[in-house]
Amino acid sequence: MAEYQNIFTRIQVIGPAYPGVPLSRDSVERQGKVGHWHLLGRLGDAQVGPLYLGMTGLLSVICGFIAFEIIGLVMLDSVNWDIRQFVRQLFWLALEPPAPKYGLRFPPLNEGGWWIVAGFFLSLSVILWWIRTYRRARALGMGTHVPWAFAAALWLFFVCGFLRPLAMGSWSEAVPFGIFPHLDWTAALSIRYGNLFYNPFHALSIVFLYGATLLFAMHGATILALGRFGGEREIELAIDRGTAAERGGLFWRWTMGFNATFESIHRWAWWFAVLCPLTGGIGILLTGTVVDNWHQWAMQHAFAPSYPPEAFNALPDPALGGAR
Amino acid sequence: MSMLSFEQKYRVRGGTLVGGDLFDFWIGPFWVGFFGITTAFFTVIGTALILYGAAIGGTWNPWLINIAPPDLKYGLGLAPIRDGGLWQIITICAIGAFVSWIFRQAEISRKLGMGYHIPVAYSVAVFAYISLVVIRPVLLGAWGHGFPYGIFSHLDWVSNVGYQYLHFHYNPAHMIAVTFFFTTVLALSLHGGLVLSALNPPRGEAVKTSEHENSFFRDFIGYSIGTLGIHRLGLFVALSAGFWSAVCIIISGPFWSRGWPDWWGWWLNLPIWS
Amino acid sequence: MSYALKAAGAAAALIGGFALLFTFERPPMDTVQLGYRGLGIEQVVNPRLERMTLAKNAIPAVVPQVGAVGPKASAVYKNVQVLGDLSVTQFARTMAALTGWVAPEQGCNYCHNPNNMASDEIYTKVVARRMLQMTARINAEWKSHVQETGVTCYTCHRGQPVPAYSWAHNDTPPRSAGLSVGTAGQNLASGSVGLTSLPYDPFTPYLSGNAQIRVQTPAPRVMPVKPGIKDAEWTYGLMMHMSTSLGVVCTYCHNSRAWYSWEESPPQRTNAWHGIRMVRDVNNNFITPLQPQWAANPYGPPTGPVQPRVGLHGDPLKVNCGTCHQGAYKPLLGVSMLQDYPELNAVTNIDAPPPIRQ
Repeated sequence: MAEYQNIFTRIQVIGPAYPGVPLSRDSVERQGKVGHWHLLGRLGDAQVGPLYLGMTGLLSVICGFIAFEIIGLVMLDSVNWDIRQFVRQLFWLALEPPAPKYGLRFPPLNEGGWWIVAGFFLSLSVILWWIRTYRRARALGMGTHVPWAFAAALWLFFVCGFLRPLAMGSWSEAVPFGIFPHLDWTAALSIRYGNLFYNPFHALSIVFLYGATLLFAMHGATILALGRFGGEREIELAIDRGTAAERGGLFWRWTMGFNATFESIHRWAWWFAVLCPLTGGIGILLTGTVVDNWHQWAMQHAFAPSYPPEAFNALPDPALGGAR
Repeated sequence: MSMLSFEQKYRVRGGTLVGGDLFDFWIGPFWVGFFGITTAFFTVIGTALILYGAAIGGTWNPWLINIAPPDLKYGLGLAPIRDGGLWQIITICAIGAFVSWIFRQAEISRKLGMGYHIPVAYSVAVFAYISLVVIRPVLLGAWGHGFPYGIFSHLDWVSNVGYQYLHFHYNPAHMIAVTFFFTTVLALSLHGGLVLSALNPPRGEAVKTSEHENSFFRDFIGYSIGTLGIHRLGLFVALSAGFWSAVCIIISGPFWSRGWPDWWGWWLNLPIWS
Repeated sequence: MSYALKAAGAAAALIGGFALLFTFERPPMDTVQLGYRGLGIEQVVNPRLERMTLAKNAIPAVVPQVGAVGPKASAVYKNVQVLGDLSVTQFARTMAALTGWVAPEQGCNYCHNPNNMASDEIYTKVVARRMLQMTARINAEWKSHVQETGVTCYTCHRGQPVPAYSWAHNDTPPRSAGLSVGTAGQNLASGSVGLTSLPYDPFTPYLSGNAQIRVQTPAPRVMPVKPGIKDAEWTYGLMMHMSTSLGVVCTYCHNSRAWYSWEESPPQRTNAWHGIRMVRDVNNNFITPLQPQWAANPYGPPTGPVQPRVGLHGDPLKVNCGTCHQGAYKPLLGVSMLQDYPELNAVTNIDAPPPIRQ
């Protein structure tokens, strides 16, 4: 039992840095000095850099920085430019979307206008980053699975911040930029629209969230357990099945009667990870627009459990006027 | 049918922890082993009891079946079968089956000459379950603090237990757990996507190598953790998600009785702010 | 990075992590089940904190009761407007009790000119008279909330001239310019809503105004504007205040899976519903009309503690759930002091508009 389980790399070999696979002609030069970080090498690859910045990358970072600055400065203003209070209440501060009275109009800058401006730059930033992801994959002659997975996350982001507010006819329904305030928003969304737990798409999204975590634990553990057979050489093993792939497959076959292959496990992984934000986004988009109270919807569709009433003596709604 | 083309040479005796070669055989694709027998034993009894619970519970609608834990008045004692006793036996069966499964995984790992990462990883999930139905109820002094077995009834429990702490999102361990869950999904989509994109290049292109994977990620974010590292990272974030989930519910009640937002008072009241 | 720096960092992290452990509580806890088993409708109580609650809610010694002997107070004293039906002995007992409850250190002179006890020249006497009317109104008209327990001056004052828990308008920031005016009303760490970043003045709309608290459909009344997520945040803020003021959790009054549903709500919710209306009645018909008195004396009478009597916007300090409850699910843990002081129900002349119960 007391054998080494391949949790960390024990011996690091430091050679010259690898500059990367040559890029196609429409790319620019890779940037940055290449370094080696010993601690990173304990877990994975020690080499840091080079980075490909490019025009979309540069613009994306600039737009992201503008959004970040707007959010930070508005937060700082909300504590009267008191740095100490800014640090103290940082988690509580936010850039809040406009009030309901403005609907989809552009409000004064200090009453939610900055939220729209910051949201615009953040959206621009992530869209540019998506384009960059797509072009980097193509420049290396690879498939575009990573950018499409990223697009699933963007779908959820745009549903929460743009599409659903648009459908509801008010920016005030959107998420504030802030740590605790966005959690307040999440809770208030569920409270206002009658319990998100009864939203079937929310339930699906959670299934894929937990499912993806389970899958990564299973997959990561399998590959590490196959360390002595070189299980991490997934590309090679997917094409030319070696003993690591055979043992990994047989482990799950003997355990639960079914196994994926070294390629198909990544398809399972990709779909679970992608379906999590995809179904989640659908669930959010339907909330308030199509279904106003999920608990009532669940009762209409007979999937809300009922409990024996004898636990307490419930009273009628007092606003209906002295029914007692 | 039940055997893959290369499977015969791996089907050899040995590797068991208990029972020698008494149960060292296969049924279809499944390897049996001593812990396979105990898993089946607990699973059959547990499932039968759930069906019995459904039969006396008044509904066969799978969304509505609810097997609730006992009232708090029974404390840590046994409850009558119809008043939560069923839940207690099913819990024992579930833990029995889950723990048997851990050891079964360990035996299969030994059989195939693999490390023990899978049973260790799975035991974190079992720990999270045991936290909910054993550790926290024991710390609070009643089995009735466990969650009910039902698809939507357990969500009602989650909702009400969350609002016992006024705003559960302010639970620091819950924040960490959710962050790890989202990070895991992000990392899994990146890893799955990267491997698929190397194996499935555009039409006319050759299949790519792990050097392409490294180059893509360095171009993308300036760092590539590598083929071995990503599985270490993935396992770490996935297990951390489960571990901190367990922590976040264990501390809710036994180690905190008020609203979770109130916990942050220590930060707001640090002497450095005045 | 030098090793000394690394070691210092590690030590700091260790100490910080260890200190963090002391921000939590510990088992054993007391638990109470309020709903069906397995539904999670429970209350977890820390018995060590409970001891503090018990100490805070100790009842003061009762002033010995006296019989209704002698002439009526109105026949003996001048300018007795609301306690005139009491006998002089009962009147004297009530004055003694009031002094002990509200101004034990300042004594009679907190309200009275010692040379002319009948004079209204010290404003606190005018306030006290109005508060007696308010107390009688609560005990007579709001049994739906205070039941037979009732309230006395001590319920709120607890031996202090100014009750410990009150509120004043804080719905707009004190400045009108700046980048963040639009975040008005939320996103600061605020004790009024249990340290969340929820809207920190839910009192102005809900406890002096009568804004719609219900945000889920079906709402009993047709709302002029359909409520949105921000409305839910305001309601959540009010509910945070109610929970922290009473030391209870959401499930004390609700099954959180369906907040709107009265069929699934514990009966305490009905009591709380009446309590909200009672607080509006108190604020609008008894406290706010006294605003000129406090505005003229923003830091109290000459004898009293120098303490603000009005808020940021010049409005008086008003009542919310915490004013009476002070962290307990029932004020003074449900002990009825009113039963020892029947004189408080003898107040005549409660001149206020009829209570609104909707």
